Amino acid sequence: MNRATSAFLAAVFTAICGAAAAEPPSTFPATPPAPGAAPTLSIPTPTSQTLPNGLRVISVRRDGLPLVTAQLVVRSGDEMDPPSQAGLADLTANLLTKGAAGLSAPQIAAAAETLGSSLSATAGWDESDVAITVTTPRLPQALALLAKVVRQPDFSAHELKRAQAQAIDDVRLNLSKPTALAGLVAARGTFGTGAYGHPRSGTPASIARIGRVDVQQWHAALYRPDNAILILAGDITPAQALQLAQTSFGDWPRPSAPLPARRPGSGDRSLPAMVLINQHGAGQAGVVAAHPAPPRSDGHYYDGLVADAVLGGSYSARLNEEIRIKRGLSYGAFSELQPLGNAGAWLASAQTRNPAVPQVVDLMLGQFRQLGDEKVSDAELAARKATLIGSYGRSLETTTGLATQLAELALYDVNLDEISRYPERVGAVTPHQLRKYARKHLRADEGTVVVVGDAGQFAAAMRKAYPKAVLLDAATLDLDRADLGAGAATH
Amino acid sequence: MRLRPIVLLASLILLAASGSPAPAAATDLHVAPVRYQQRTLPNGLQVLSVEDHGSPNVAVQMWYHVGSKDDPKGRSGFAHLFEHLMFKSTRHMQAEQMDRLTEDVGGANNASTGDDVTNYFEVVPSNYLQTLLWAEAERLSSLNVDEPNFKSERAVVEEEYRQSVLANPYGKLFNAIDPNSYTVHPYRRPTIGSIEDLEAATLPDVIDFHRTFYRPDNATLIVAGDFDPKQLDAWVDQYFGWIPKPSTPIPRVTATEPKRRKNRRVTVTADTAPLPAVALSWLIPPAADSADTIALQVAAALLARGDASRLYQALVYRHQVARQVDAEADVRVGPGLFLAYAILASGHAPEDAEKLLHEEIIWLATQPIDAAELERAKTLLLTDELKQRQTAQGLAFALGQAALIGGDVARVNTDLAALQQVSAKDVHRVLQKYVTGARYVTIDYLPPAKTGAPASGENAK
Repeated sequence: MNRATSAFLAAVFTAICGAAAAEPPSTFPATPPAPGAAPTLSIPTPTSQTLPNGLRVISVRRDGLPLVTAQLVVRSGDEMDPPSQAGLADLTANLLTKGAAGLSAPQIAAAAETLGSSLSATAGWDESDVAITVTTPRLPQALALLAKVVRQPDFSAHELKRAQAQAIDDVRLNLSKPTALAGLVAARGTFGTGAYGHPRSGTPASIARIGRVDVQQWHAALYRPDNAILILAGDITPAQALQLAQTSFGDWPRPSAPLPARRPGSGDRSLPAMVLINQHGAGQAGVVAAHPAPPRSDGHYYDGLVADAVLGGSYSARLNEEIRIKRGLSYGAFSELQPLGNAGAWLASAQTRNPAVPQVVDLMLGQFRQLGDEKVSDAELAARKATLIGSYGRSLETTTGLATQLAELALYDVNLDEISRYPERVGAVTPHQLRKYARKHLRADEGTVVVVGDAGQFAAAMRKAYPKAVLLDAATLDLDRADLGAGAATH
Repeated sequence: MRLRPIVLLASLILLAASGSPAPAAATDLHVAPVRYQQRTLPNGLQVLSVEDHGSPNVAVQMWYHVGSKDDPKGRSGFAHLFEHLMFKSTRHMQAEQMDRLTEDVGGANNASTGDDVTNYFEVVPSNYLQTLLWAEAERLSSLNVDEPNFKSERAVVEEEYRQSVLANPYGKLFNAIDPNSYTVHPYRRPTIGSIEDLEAATLPDVIDFHRTFYRPDNATLIVAGDFDPKQLDAWVDQYFGWIPKPSTPIPRVTATEPKRRKNRRVTVTADTAPLPAVALSWLIPPAADSADTIALQVAAALLARGDASRLYQALVYRHQVARQVDAEADVRVGPGLFLAYAILASGHAPEDAEKLLHEEIIWLATQPIDAAELERAKTLLLTDELKQRQTAQGLAFALGQAALIGGDVARVNTDLAALQQVSAKDVHRVLQKYVTGARYVTIDYLPPAKTGAPASGENAK
């Protein structure tokens, strides 16, 4: 049938476009021309220095364009949120630019934008960041502004109130997206009551519980020079970087109190392995499958990166090949390894039409098994390593990309020389190491699969295939609780 | 796009441009001119290139002068569906071989379809330049999609529709802007199309579309990054030179959008969006009218670029009626749109935001504009431009935008000077002419009536 159809179409093609689609001459090869000698990727060498107050200053030079990215990284993020105040690190970071050192929020915004870009302040799981990218002559002013917001924020009551209302709206917007909600529930399934288990940006209830004193205390305890890194990437020398850092941050006092202890990233896990969530009116279902993974300090980090690259790290990786390219079930299916400070997760996700959920879940789980069961071919491995290394090299082409890579290395106490060793490390991973990593970290009995969508179109089929699956409703989930407030349903 | 959902074309890219340091500006920003080369092959293929050895990569882009405005009758979404099919088989390439020649060797590829253009873009280690030139010539000269590939890729595009329009809480709103903003011009068809029209598409449609629009005299090849110019010319001649130029004319959209005679208001139902929204649109002139469109882009930046902007300060910060606001000059080859929209804050209705949107725009159009504020808006746009030019891909996009949307590649270096010279008077003039003195369409985006979110019912008119 297919062959017959193709032959017929080929005929139509020739008939219709015979004139336009002329036969190529002999000078046009029938196979792709072979590549020339490979160019070498040159990665600039970073310099690291530490001020007397403990602030680590890292700079990397990339001239060509008169641009510099300045990024101040505080080595604490939402993993330090008290369990009842999920989103505290986010809210604190957000408030930095909403009044500081005698400047109001509009004045700070205007000052930054006059220099050329917005001053963005955000929190992640393990860090809080304030960053700005400006043309070189404006760097001293940009750093002075950055120092003001980091060191002397007002945290005024009226700004807190405004930021809370906005954060609650943002959370509501996010929860209306099927894959975003599935991701939050999958994180709960993976980390349970641990520090990485709660919704990182909080819930409407947890955000409302945060008071001004909480924000002030969080800032006082964690925003300090011996818990921070300043990164300057772009058109700047190490000597200039040190001098500018000294000017803006040299007199930032180091408190004598020790840094607060961290909670373990993972805790008690109480969600079932298959969670179905009905979201009224969802035009598509979001499917997220998560497994616990090692922290960034894991000695097999590069094995994990390469395993993830084969599984779903790019367009041509297996998940997208099976779910999108071969079957047209989704616009895209991908995976991501997320190694954090003291735990990690390995996530796969896809959005699909509601009735196709069982098939997409099957394909995902099948790919997890296959990665641990079968040896990856040399050709596939070489291709995915090239994808990974190429993408890494391109990420270093911009000043913000360079700053991001350095921030990650410094945050996780990795030797900065690793920035240029990445191609070699990725290249050294063997099929055996990859398979071993997959077998260990994609175990079926460790994973949590979460589907958010119009459950009427898939719940019955899913419960038949997975009798232990639970069905919840998006409108009644309590995301502040490790069991989602669904204790009754799961027992 | 193959990987990312279709969004409103970011009009700021039009300012993907720079010139000699503008003497009149009080800014210390210096954006060096792009030193590009330009030539046209006898078969009509335009070739633009710019050398930049900052990284060992090269960007290869093919821009075709065809977009969703050229969708065949009853086939909305076709130009975009077609874009996906260009990754399937050709005379000498198997389906997805483009990925083998890019991703698998350390590069990347993607494509996008807009109202006016379709572009295919790759970035690869520079030793693969020859390979990619061959591959682009190959799919320009012979596309050979089979039925199974056609059907499975059409299903992918339907998932893209569901993801960007149905599952995105504000997808239906953005998808409703063009259909409600134009009455005659084919821009009124959304680029993503509809499930029904996609289902109606056939393989003969694909063949016909390729024959009609994918021809050397309707394409621009752009190469930026690490290459040798002489070698590039030789390869381009070898791989593209033989492709015949058809004798038939290229169909062009000739529709003109009539001037609006009255304001219009429509309501779109939000299925899953937790907060209502409101969007306003006005008609603006084509990109060729650079004096007015660049001033409109500065006006949009004054209104909505950054937290210090007028709309953010008024709606999000001071009155707190909105959670998000934006304004943009969506400049196109044909008539474009000036857009302003707000996603409401909890407890507020679209009319609260709508009133303030109009007030702020009128204020900007009529009252003095502080020189520092104007300078700030320009600085933001210029710094964006510098950031874009850090990569080969960014440089190539800047050239393509100038050549195909702006209509003249030289605009990559002249629009910046024009931007530097935009005055408060210019901002007043264009806002009064196209916005405050013209008719607008209002789209209310509201939850379904029966679920009755607060204050949503009474303002639908």
